Amino acid sequence: MKTLIFLVTIILVSPIFGVILADIVGFHEPLNIAAEKIELHDLSKDMNWTPLFDYTIPGLSPEIGYIISGLLGITIILGVGLFFKGRGKQN
Amino acid sequence: MHIPDGFLDITTASVTYIIFIVFGYYALRKSRRMMESDMISFVSILAAGIFAAQMLNWPLPGGTSLHFVGGALAGILLGPWLGFLTICSVVIVQALIFHDGGITTLGANALNMAIIAVLIGHSSYEFLIRNFGNRDSIRFLGAFLAGWLSIIIAGAAAAIQIGYSQSFPYGFAITIPVMVGWHAVLGIIEGIITAFSIIYLSRRAPQLLSVEGGVK
Repeated sequence: MKTLIFLVTIILVSPIFGVILADIVGFHEPLNIAAEKIELHDLSKDMNWTPLFDYTIPGLSPEIGYIISGLLGITIILGVGLFFKGRGKQN
Repeated sequence: MHIPDGFLDITTASVTYIIFIVFGYYALRKSRRMMESDMISFVSILAAGIFAAQMLNWPLPGGTSLHFVGGALAGILLGPWLGFLTICSVVIVQALIFHDGGITTLGANALNMAIIAVLIGHSSYEFLIRNFGNRDSIRFLGAFLAGWLSIIIAGAAAAIQIGYSQSFPYGFAITIPVMVGWHAVLGIIEGIITAFSIIYLSRRAPQLLSVEGGVK
């Protein structure tokens, strides 16, 4: 339970870094900086398959979308873990 | 470090996918006997923690950002096989659910973060502990170097893949200095977080540093 509270806390504060401060400083990953220098074209938006692109949720503000995406991500990972744990017990 | 779609040509993407699949098959076989109930819980909690930590993107003035990758931490705690499965689950969820990292480049991203970063982190920490003793100071230094090196070498691997790719006309002369230079700086933070995590766990939950496949 302590771990879960810790994880949820991280997710709740994550938009401060991942959205708000990122907008202020105009962040790019080092890979994007290299890509700009060499004029590579990022095809991600042209061949997108998910409505949750880059931790956003359509219709919600970027901050709320980032939090819900984070919660969804850890839920999926823990859910897969629980599934395999259950299968392990059956075997 | 997540390579998006469009950065790798078909040859580079295919080769990295093959390495990812072969390594993944081998890792699943090797870790099957370790997959007891408690271990599955630990792997999934560590993966969820690394996923959450990766969302803490720390933007830096000048226009780049850093976030914890966690490959070295997973490698030190779980060893190369379970460490691979831990980071791999994070990379797959990021790519498939949030399109953070491309689908054509999933093999390359898994190779860099789940294989190379984990192996470098695990082996460099193990080297220092085996040769200089299992003391707090060595654990701290070993975990710091493991985190730092894992980021630099994984970044260099990404640079080589992009530089080799026919999508990119200029080659390694640009990709390697840019990627290695930035990641040498960003890796310092990875090293510090890894070192404090290992010291904290060695005091509060030392059994986690002695799981099968991990390094005491």
